[in-house]
Amino acid sequence: MKIMKKAQAGTMQSSDLMVFLEPGQTLNVTIESTVLKQFGGLIRAKVDEVLQKHGIEAGEVRITDRGALDYAIEARLETAIMRATEG
Amino acid sequence: MVTSLLSTDDLRQARELVEASGLQFEPPYDDLAGVFEAGRLVAVGARQGRVLKMLAVAASHQGGTLLDEVVTELVGRGYQEGVDSFFVFTSPALAPGFEALNFNLLVASGKTALLEYGDGLRRYLARYARQIRPGNNGAIVANCNPFTLGHRYLVEQAAAGVDQLFLFVVREERSMFPFGARLRMVQEGTSDLANVTVLDTSWYAVSSITFPTYFLKDGDPGGAIQMELDLMLFGQRIAPHFHVKTRFVGSEPFCGTTAAYNEAMHRVLPPLGIEVREIERKSAIDEPISASRVRDMLLRGELEGIAEMVPVSTLDFLLSSEGIKIWDKGGSR
Repeated sequence: MKIMKKAQAGTMQSSDLMVFLEPGQTLNVTIESTVLKQFGGLIRAKVDEVLQKHGIEAGEVRITDRGALDYAIEARLETAIMRATEG
Repeated sequence: MVTSLLSTDDLRQARELVEASGLQFEPPYDDLAGVFEAGRLVAVGARQGRVLKMLAVAASHQGGTLLDEVVTELVGRGYQEGVDSFFVFTSPALAPGFEALNFNLLVASGKTALLEYGDGLRRYLARYARQIRPGNNGAIVANCNPFTLGHRYLVEQAAAGVDQLFLFVVREERSMFPFGARLRMVQEGTSDLANVTVLDTSWYAVSSITFPTYFLKDGDPGGAIQMELDLMLFGQRIAPHFHVKTRFVGSEPFCGTTAAYNEAMHRVLPPLGIEVREIERKSAIDEPISASRVRDMLLRGELEGIAEMVPVSTLDFLLSSEGIKIWDKGGSR
């Protein structure tokens, strides 16, 4: 799938994350997290996995995380992808 | 649930809550939202452009997630409207609460702290990393609306005294000439100077965020604090990254706000290890050259005099079909 338009999902609450997607020429992922030092690598791996699963190869992906668990990351990112690719 | 505050009663409650928190209720805003509990407003916040303000939570409801909910809503809606970065002004004591929400502290001065949602400043600085050579570098921040021989003189004088000169062109779109046109005039007007690098200020210097009154001109009481914040951000975060040791500025005989900004520069920057050098303005036709003078002459159609005040590259642009479209319709400033 391709990111066709700007989309956002998630919240700023603790144990959640905000996902921002925008169309772009290359894939550019930035992750900010209150637990970046401890879990930055794992968050990145999860994000890459979900992007790959949906065949997202280009776009601006911005994540601001407040300690979300794996399934929350997946759910929020998938929601944003659906919103960015629909219609 | 966060809802929009629209009715007269909503606004009355919003004002009371904001004022009870020691803040001022200051319209205008693009968005005002809050959370009600049993008909009583317990959290409120507003967004004006990129700035979040009037964020307050009732004393009885602090320590929960209400602030997070309000900020989420304001940021989410703002993003849908095309705003891609967000700032908040608060007191230094409250800054950590915002840092927990992934805001990053940009600068704190006395009673005011400026935070940014996300790490835009770091990405902005990283964008230019390759163009920076360590050394005795200098900087100019200018709007160049349009680029004149006065700017050119200032740039030449400054460039002669440093290893590399960074010329930051104000990104903000509040001037007669759009940013793209100003940037191009500056690039063409300085392309022969090998040690001059032209870049944009983004939101981090002389912008509607760091220094809104610059664009109002007449100034206001809040202006002084804003100027200091703008200069501290430059001195603490931007200048070290570019190895800037000197900030150059033209003397300001006309505009009160700019003169006050120059004065603040002498006060704020030297303690941060940055020398300020004010360079006397170049004159043409018996008066100092200024961009505002060029704009006035354009609007009056006095094209002959302009050739003495701007470089050929700027004149070419002003007389091109693209340039004429900008000034012939009569811009606001």
